[in-house]
Amino acid sequence: MLENAWLIPLFPLLSFLLLLFFGKQWKEMSSHVGIGFTGVSFLLSVIVLFTQMANGSGGAEMVWLTIGQLEFRFGVVVTPLNALMLVIVSLVSFLVHIYSKGYMHSDERLTTFYSYLGLFTFAMLALVISPNLLQLYIFWELVGVGSFLLIGFYFYKEEAKAAAKKAFIMTRIGDVGLLIGMILLFWQVGSLEFNDIFTAVGGGEVPEGLLTLIAILIFVGAVGKSGQFPLHTWLPDAMEGPTPVSALIHAATMVAAGVYLVAALFPVFEASPAAMTVVAVVGGFTAIFAATIGLVQTDIKRVLAYSTVSQLGYMMMALGAAGYVAGVFHLMTHAFFKALLFLAAGSVIHAVHNQNIEKMGGLWTKMRITGPVFLIGTLAISGVPLFSGFFSKDEILLATWYDGRYGLFIIGLVAAFFTAFYMFRLFFMVFTGEHRSEVTEVRESPRSMTIPMVVLAFLAAFSGYINTPWFGTFLGDWLAGDSEFLPFEHHEGPVWVMMAASLIAFAGIGLAYLIYYKKSLQRDFLSSHMPATYTLVFNKYFIDEFYQYTVEYAARAVGYLGSFIEKYIVEVIVAAVSGVTRAAGSLGSKLQSGQVQTYGAIAFIGLAILVFLVVWTGGYL
Amino acid sequence: MDMETLLSYEWSMMAPEFTILIIATVLSLVDLFADKKIDRKLFGWFGAAGIGIALFFLFSQIGHEPAMILANTYRLDAFSLSFKILLLIGALLVLLMGVSYEAKGELLYRGEFYYLLMSALLGAMMMASSADLITLFVGLELLSISSYILAGTRKKSTQSNEAAMKYVINGGISSAFTLFGLSYIYGLTGSTNLADISREISNIAPENGLVLLSVAFILTFVGLAFKISTVPFQMWAPDVYQGAPIPVTVFLSVVSKTAGFVIILRVLLSVFPFAQGLEANTSLLQSMMIFISVLAGITMIAGNTVALKQRNIKRLFAYSSIAHAGYLLVPFVAFSEMMFESMWFYLAAYLLMNIGAFAVIQVMSEHSHSEDISIFAGLFYRRPWMAVMMTIFLLSLAGIPGTAGFIGKLNIFIGALFSDPSRYILAAVMMGTTVISYFYYFGVMAQMFMRPSGSAVPIRMPVGVTIAMVFCAAGTITLGLFPGVVLDFFQTQFNFAEMFY
Repeated sequence: MLENAWLIPLFPLLSFLLLLFFGKQWKEMSSHVGIGFTGVSFLLSVIVLFTQMANGSGGAEMVWLTIGQLEFRFGVVVTPLNALMLVIVSLVSFLVHIYSKGYMHSDERLTTFYSYLGLFTFAMLALVISPNLLQLYIFWELVGVGSFLLIGFYFYKEEAKAAAKKAFIMTRIGDVGLLIGMILLFWQVGSLEFNDIFTAVGGGEVPEGLLTLIAILIFVGAVGKSGQFPLHTWLPDAMEGPTPVSALIHAATMVAAGVYLVAALFPVFEASPAAMTVVAVVGGFTAIFAATIGLVQTDIKRVLAYSTVSQLGYMMMALGAAGYVAGVFHLMTHAFFKALLFLAAGSVIHAVHNQNIEKMGGLWTKMRITGPVFLIGTLAISGVPLFSGFFSKDEILLATWYDGRYGLFIIGLVAAFFTAFYMFRLFFMVFTGEHRSEVTEVRESPRSMTIPMVVLAFLAAFSGYINTPWFGTFLGDWLAGDSEFLPFEHHEGPVWVMMAASLIAFAGIGLAYLIYYKKSLQRDFLSSHMPATYTLVFNKYFIDEFYQYTVEYAARAVGYLGSFIEKYIVEVIVAAVSGVTRAAGSLGSKLQSGQVQTYGAIAFIGLAILVFLVVWTGGYL
Repeated sequence: MDMETLLSYEWSMMAPEFTILIIATVLSLVDLFADKKIDRKLFGWFGAAGIGIALFFLFSQIGHEPAMILANTYRLDAFSLSFKILLLIGALLVLLMGVSYEAKGELLYRGEFYYLLMSALLGAMMMASSADLITLFVGLELLSISSYILAGTRKKSTQSNEAAMKYVINGGISSAFTLFGLSYIYGLTGSTNLADISREISNIAPENGLVLLSVAFILTFVGLAFKISTVPFQMWAPDVYQGAPIPVTVFLSVVSKTAGFVIILRVLLSVFPFAQGLEANTSLLQSMMIFISVLAGITMIAGNTVALKQRNIKRLFAYSSIAHAGYLLVPFVAFSEMMFESMWFYLAAYLLMNIGAFAVIQVMSEHSHSEDISIFAGLFYRRPWMAVMMTIFLLSLAGIPGTAGFIGKLNIFIGALFSDPSRYILAAVMMGTTVISYFYYFGVMAQMFMRPSGSAVPIRMPVGVTIAMVFCAAGTITLGLFPGVVLDFFQTQFNFAEMFY
């Protein structure tokens, strides 16, 4: 079965192609086509997962092209990490496909939407089973295209257009890093196959300094894709896309591709302590930085977006602290609860036609399914004991502790506190208190939307139990099990870490409860004391403005120089090139007079010149 | 030669040639005696079947030991086999297009078209298999003379007549050059047999014959440059391509051009690698490569820049075909171990994408009785599938990843960079001119997708040309996505060392 894993991405591709060509006739039916094909993919992924568990890793590869000594291959590989990613991606995609049937039902371009979803799912699934960096890179870019198309789905909205462009360009900046890293790696190792790379790195064939550079360059690619500081600003803006897309791409799958890349190339990173520190520090900083911004946002999707950035930072921090299992574990639990939260948020938006949490409230009694599942998601992300997020977060904190990164350990705790606080702030403002929405008749969403949420809620609650200090570390043993390149040791953590994490979570929840539910504390008791900090955080640390101003001032300062260069150097060169090209063209067509004697003469003159040159250079004259 | 030797030859080696010869003879006789009312289109299908049989014989010969018959003038080896496959497939597709070609009563003698095409093909096949200067030249002339007539088959059209006239005159000049060059080779070695020549030529002392041999090289190359339409013998191509009926244009730009490359490789590689070069320890071929490289560069530049100015789609593709001939000279100049593979693959890719594009052009120009580029306006909204196929051909011609043209260019490019000495300047010229080519290829695409279409008359798609189109599109994509399939076959089945004696 493993060698046939290439079938998995093929079904969404088929869905994309079918909808592209026949979608116009099918209209409403398109959603069924999309759902059906991704459903098959999901089933196959599950089969692959179990086959992998039973028989170990495998795959298939063939030579695609041989040019001289160079060999380019393509194929599939199924390792525990890939199999897990396959199931996560296909499951979330499948659920999002079902959910969209309800959420997008009134949209005229439903068919287009489903075909884009198919394209994205194809690219993402193909990405996670790539056995070499070149193939991964191709699908990495294709995933970016899918994301671009889906963010800009409402292309008639200026913001959506701008957001799509921003997302594409900012991730491209990261991709340049990845590409350079890949080229350096190819130059050093002579192959882009994961196994060859690991063998070469393990054998110390790549000089230490260069290896660090390569790892950091590859990490730059991950920074762009996973919205890490300082390339994170596209992710909140990407919320302009339809909400199911946010759940699929900007919560569960594509943004996790950066984390996946670091995890897949973990042996490369591990060989360079400096690169590991960079990963850990960038991750930790992003985790707390984005969490503080999340504290004060009022758009429900933006809160979740900053939370995503923060959680991805968490995963990076774990990987940087040698917590391979912790990072991947959190990737999985996060995919479930964050997709759930986005879908539930979509359900709320669907009901009240608004995204501002100031204009919601009191929805608990009116949305009998959305409310509870949102609560489950909130509990999971806050790290409340017994929910999935609790176990994965605990694993991350342990990893940082054992790696001796105590500063990051503290940052992790503080970020966890913030997370619990802003998530429950969100929950209380949306679901409790008085009804503030302009829509009076709030109805629960249709079954097609609630069922996927319930499934995800189940997973958000219980998926953590596959790796717990109490019932065994099944996931960890399996993930690192049959790889010769991954050292895995599970840390039996001190109990107080777990206690501290729980206490922190409850403290955050308690504070949110006091402010937003009991209202015994003034909402602005903090912000009124620290107006400057509030403004700073509310405006997302002015990062966008910073980019705008630095770009603007720099542009203005460099502008004059630039316009000078542009006018007198670049344009002259461009004009010269196009002028020469045109002139050559005109000259050529002028010679083409239609006179046959001219043609003969030209051939003869050409011959004469050549003979002269040959005789002359031959030294016979 | 007595009867016994004649009968002892392994005649089955020539089965493909005999098949084509029989078809051509039968067709010309039937055309002479059959009732004028019988639709001559049947000839096309008959001819196609014949080429099918010839292809079958050809494939059954793969793996045959290199052998020579007819007093060492006819040679069967990997080189001749592999290129004859291209010639036959190209001719087959041209036939399919010809069956669908109407041209408003201008094609009075349709029967002629089919059997002249067959005789031209026979000439091309003889060129691929010849091991003697005399038979090579006879094959060349058989191809040329048939082509001259073919170019003029639209009898009532002045353009077609003009094209045929220009083609004859230029062809005559080129034959003169070629023969002049070959006569030097004969004079220096005393033989017309390529095997003998390659043995004798290394004995020529540098101080005696080198200058004559260099001149012979240049004369032969320039003369043969006519067939592949490269500088300095490319001027005829746009006029002839424009005037000739479209299937003939395709024949000239694909089959005849392939045959041109075949004869260049056969003659130049049989003779000049074994002659002492201008510097010590080099062959004459290596010494001469610098000149070919300059010609290749000029060809690429001239073809691509002049194409920018064309509005007539046939002229545009004439310049494009000049440019592609320039690309094809790059692996010859680089002369790396991948040379045959690169050239063969690029010729195969070129065959598919160029015939495919011309098939679309034929349908569109017959539909609108014009050859202006604007006939493609809004094609996507009228015949989406045809527009998609045309897009595939154009992307492939431009060398965009995912198509056969890309793999072909990549092969040539890597070969040029990694050869010894590295031909990086030529590779750079190739890159630069490829970028220039985007402008005119994408100009056609812009017409199809971004211009409104003027007419709503349904476009008729005759069966023959549609088959050719679909075959070419499928082939272009297959070679682009799975080049390994063909390249592996090529590498395992054809051993090009066989070419040398």
